[in-house]
Amino acid sequence: MNNLKTANAFVFNPEFDVNYLNSLYGDDYNYLQEVFNTVMHDYQSLTDNIEYNFSSGNLNALRSAVHKIKPVFGFVGLTAVQQLCQDFEQICSTASSPDQLAGDFESLKNKISQSKILIEEEKKKLELFNSNCS
Amino acid sequence: MSLSCIIVEDLQVAANYLNNCCEKSGQVEVKGHFSNVTDALSFLNSNTVDLIFLDVEMPGANGFELLDQIAFSPKVILTTAKSEYAYNAFQYNVSDYLMKPFTYQRFLEALGKIQPSKETISTNSATDHIYIKADGKLIRLNNDSILYIESMGDYVKFVTVDNKKYITHNTIKNLEEKVSKEHFLKVHRSYIVNLHKIDDMRENFLFIKGNEIPVSKANKADVFRRLNIV
Repeated sequence: MNNLKTANAFVFNPEFDVNYLNSLYGDDYNYLQEVFNTVMHDYQSLTDNIEYNFSSGNLNALRSAVHKIKPVFGFVGLTAVQQLCQDFEQICSTASSPDQLAGDFESLKNKISQSKILIEEEKKKLELFNSNCS
Repeated sequence: MSLSCIIVEDLQVAANYLNNCCEKSGQVEVKGHFSNVTDALSFLNSNTVDLIFLDVEMPGANGFELLDQIAFSPKVILTTAKSEYAYNAFQYNVSDYLMKPFTYQRFLEALGKIQPSKETISTNSATDHIYIKADGKLIRLNNDSILYIESMGDYVKFVTVDNKKYITHNTIKNLEEKVSKEHFLKVHRSYIVNLHKIDDMRENFLFIKGNEIPVSKANKADVFRRLNIV
């Protein structure tokens, strides 16, 4: 069976965990494209929710918003970002004020912004790859 | 095996993935996808399913609140893995957890845990007793000797008037159909009580010989009907 690591197959940006993607989707690049489409469709509202809850200083809601977006990164193979979200959830659980996690929040926010660009680029590459295969 | 299910999940990519796994398995028919508890409840008020794939953290009510409000007892697979939910999951007889994202293989393992309850009880609802399999033997329990029955995951605990506790492999759902309707009533997803043993009721709790038993919203009307309130 082919898989996402096959040399002649789609070449992912090294930021993506190819082994992990392979464990989820095998060689189904069309389905993977659907996943990337869905993620991009929902990305803005998920990140807006995070920003809003940080601005309003509601740490529990902030933790919940980060918890919500966390698996999204898993679904697209950005496992390091998924772990970053997990770590931030922990920080939220122990922090008593938004000031205490301002630095960590800034790092997470930047990572989430960078991830959006990566996912968007990979989505376009997948569209091209799938259209060439069909 | 063909199971009917609903997916209660507000993350679209996760719901789609789960739906895909169900289709691929050929074992589960998805009757609906709901992104919040209110919509799921509305569906479940007029439909029953064998299985619910349930996210816990959703906008508005959380997943456990859904389980409190439905009048039947489907199998439940949580699509979250937060350890802080472990106690609740135990109380609600959750069959498995799936941490998102999960592999198809892991999904199949979870499905494998959805098995019909083993027959560990012998009874005729017209008689005054039941037999349970516990401690390697068949034990006779007179209806009048049982205070209540509590769910413990894949097991149930019978608590008796002499404060003995018998644990046996069974489910509240299965027992609900088998115990004497005259004596027993399901008052919560995790509890069946002996109506003849209730000492008092305060708000959403029944008290039986010092034991506090929760009454779910979905079962409260039934409880009132059976209490012979004058």
